[in-house]
Amino acid sequence: MSVPTVSPRGVAETRRMLAGHMNELGLLAIIVILYGVFGALSPGFLSANNQVNILRDGATIGIAAWAQTLVIVAGEIDISVGPMVAFIAVIMAFLMKVPVPLPFALIGGVVLGLCLGSLAGVLRAIFSVPSFVATLGLWSALRGLALFMTNALPVTFDDNDTLDWIGDNVFGLPVSAVVMVILFGVFVFVSRKTAFGRSVYAVGGNANAAHLCGINVTRIRILVFAISGLMAAITAIMLLARLGSGNAGAASGLEFDVIAAVVVGGTSLSGGRGSMLGTLLGVLTITVIGDGLVLYGINSFVQDVVRGVIIVVAVLLNVAASRRSGRHV
Amino acid sequence: MTGAQLPVAELRSATKRYPGVIALDEVDFSVMPGEVRAVLGKNGAGKSTLIRLLTGAESADSGEVLLSGKPFVEFGQRRTREAAERGLRAVYQELSLVPSMTIAENMFLGNWPRRRRVLDHRAMAEQAREALRRLGLSLDPRLLTGTLAPAARQMVEIARAFLGVPRLVILDEPTSSLAAAEVDQVCNAVREAAAAGAAVLYVSHRMSEIRRLADTATVMRDGRVASTLSVAGARTLADTATVMRDGRVASTLSVAGARTEDIIQMMLGRVEQARPAHTSAIGKTTLSVEGIAMPPKLRNITFDLHAGEVLGIAGLLGSGRTELLEIVMGLRLPSAGSVRVRDEKIAKPSYKGMMQRGFGYTPESRKEDGIVPLLGVDENIVLTDFSRVTRGGVLSSAAVESAARTVVERLHVKTARLETPIVTLSGGNQQKVVIGRWIHAGSRILLLDEPTRGVDIEAKAQIYDIIRALAAEGRAVLFVSSEIEELDQVCDRVLVLRDGVMAEEHIAPSIDAERLLAACIG
Repeated sequence: MSVPTVSPRGVAETRRMLAGHMNELGLLAIIVILYGVFGALSPGFLSANNQVNILRDGATIGIAAWAQTLVIVAGEIDISVGPMVAFIAVIMAFLMKVPVPLPFALIGGVVLGLCLGSLAGVLRAIFSVPSFVATLGLWSALRGLALFMTNALPVTFDDNDTLDWIGDNVFGLPVSAVVMVILFGVFVFVSRKTAFGRSVYAVGGNANAAHLCGINVTRIRILVFAISGLMAAITAIMLLARLGSGNAGAASGLEFDVIAAVVVGGTSLSGGRGSMLGTLLGVLTITVIGDGLVLYGINSFVQDVVRGVIIVVAVLLNVAASRRSGRHV
Repeated sequence: MTGAQLPVAELRSATKRYPGVIALDEVDFSVMPGEVRAVLGKNGAGKSTLIRLLTGAESADSGEVLLSGKPFVEFGQRRTREAAERGLRAVYQELSLVPSMTIAENMFLGNWPRRRRVLDHRAMAEQAREALRRLGLSLDPRLLTGTLAPAARQMVEIARAFLGVPRLVILDEPTSSLAAAEVDQVCNAVREAAAAGAAVLYVSHRMSEIRRLADTATVMRDGRVASTLSVAGARTLADTATVMRDGRVASTLSVAGARTEDIIQMMLGRVEQARPAHTSAIGKTTLSVEGIAMPPKLRNITFDLHAGEVLGIAGLLGSGRTELLEIVMGLRLPSAGSVRVRDEKIAKPSYKGMMQRGFGYTPESRKEDGIVPLLGVDENIVLTDFSRVTRGGVLSSAAVESAARTVVERLHVKTARLETPIVTLSGGNQQKVVIGRWIHAGSRILLLDEPTRGVDIEAKAQIYDIIRALAAEGRAVLFVSSEIEELDQVCDRVLVLRDGVMAEEHIAPSIDAERLLAACIG
């Protein structure tokens, strides 16, 4: 067809597509507004350098947030992210200090992450400990253990070129941001295109029905926590590379940013609903707010207040939008 | 205060509509002090709506609801409290106790006696103990209800009805999980309350209890009072019956002791429905259930299911039908007995194992256990077997679409698109999807628990056709239903579960709704 015509059916289709993505469009609007406001307030905000900063900060939240999205869609929650990242980073730093060759140190960290995540999953799925409590226990234990092992001092080790490269930029982009984007693609694929991903939605939407359809609910629950632990390990590697030392106090409060990003992204805390795209926008929102407030130079206590208000407002708009499009059940 | 007594509760041409149905159609109803009235009728006849109007849980669209001659003054939630304050006590069959609170706290739930704004535990315990005593129970009211056995919990629930000085007691199938001795206690308490001047509405299908207890019976059908009649020797009321048809009084006649058959006839009305063609050839035995027991509900249950057969299981609420299906599927452990699939004896069935042997199960509660509400129709279908729509570990959109389309077209599921969230579909279409997912999985033996519950008439007929078509393909179907007529219509054979045993077997073409219902209520 030479003349671009839009059939009425096409219009309806487009309208439906838009209605189905009210949440994402709303977040996009919020991000645009935030860029406008911060850009006007602080001249440095729009600089290329600052965009790289936003990406790097985003990666710290984002990598853990992809996994957290699966956890929350499955109807669970993992609040152990921050201490787990710090603990794994400390352990890897100790390994590097020995010195253990870098690949083994990193593999050790990854295996540790998988094990700690699986532990939370087993507590939830097999021993029926509510996931909030299981991961709260981990949160406290891992934070304490990391501080105890390091005496709250940074664990330093010899410089390592590969690790420095991970902490640096490639083609002008932070490596951690590239990893985040690649993992985003992986998680979009897993959540939409694999039986496992769809089973996560089914378990979160109605665990009884999923079980009666033959889905191994226990396995799904353990796996989402294991994946969360794995992503904590990858975040720990990025952190280790960036700081050049293992620090027990690092990533403190990360779990709140991660959960806030997922929830702002439209994922329902009651399970069964949510999308990776929403979380991506949520991560951007949270990061842009953090970065913009720092640049503007607001008192750091006031920053927390502003951030809290923006998070609640974003979720309020979100709920209102989903109610309007009739998806709220 | 003599003279003409006022009815304790009265409906005057009360009408209540729900989307798509008229639940009550200009119903007149009244019950006098000291009268025990049985309320009868099959599912959906309007019994619960009648009760909900009296308790104030719903208000009538038109007509009047009067308690002791006076209408409600409050609206909405306050109305149920007003009803309670005016002496109404209602007990429903489903348990509504808070397990972590004491018996006394539960009995007064939300309406705790207070003295100077502080809970009066002593008064609460005393009144609770008194109500329990009326039921012949010597339980300590300070026990947590969570620690009680199921029967005791049910008794505590019933005891709520006898708190203080009740004027109108409504018991909705109170005895469905009670043993004979406890049923006796309930009957005593009911008679005692009636002797003290309370009116009692007793919803039940157990004819033996009704004969022992009730002075009069109201039979409901299709939202109307089909008839009000006296049971056995009338005690307090005139022994007349009002037969209603099309919302108007058709005739008033005298009945000196109604026969069970008459009551059944009135409950069912005249049913002339086309039976779907029974064309399937009955094949080999695919499932043998051998001596399954689960006291106190099931004892020595033995039967065979054959390929191409639709086998119905009839029984009253609480007769153990659902538990039987759950045992066969490996969801519940029996205390004795085994299951044989074709020639393989299965000592300990597991759910997954039964699925792999070609079993498919649709649970009784579609919303809680059936659908995944926010997933699309397509995904709700393929959930039972992803491997059929996966190519090299990756879900294929095309395969999902074609698998879902096959089921949707075959079962005439009405949905705008395949990916529409299933929760937006009507109950009937949801149910078709829940059945259809087992067609997707290629199941050969289907266990359907109440597949037509909460489904409109048209979808019901379609589901009957689906069941017959499944059998015609050589699949075996075990069909549990509370609706006697549909068992009559759809099944090749019906087993009646009564008092924990397979009491009777009815084989087509000599299955008859009236005889089936009679067999169920014993």
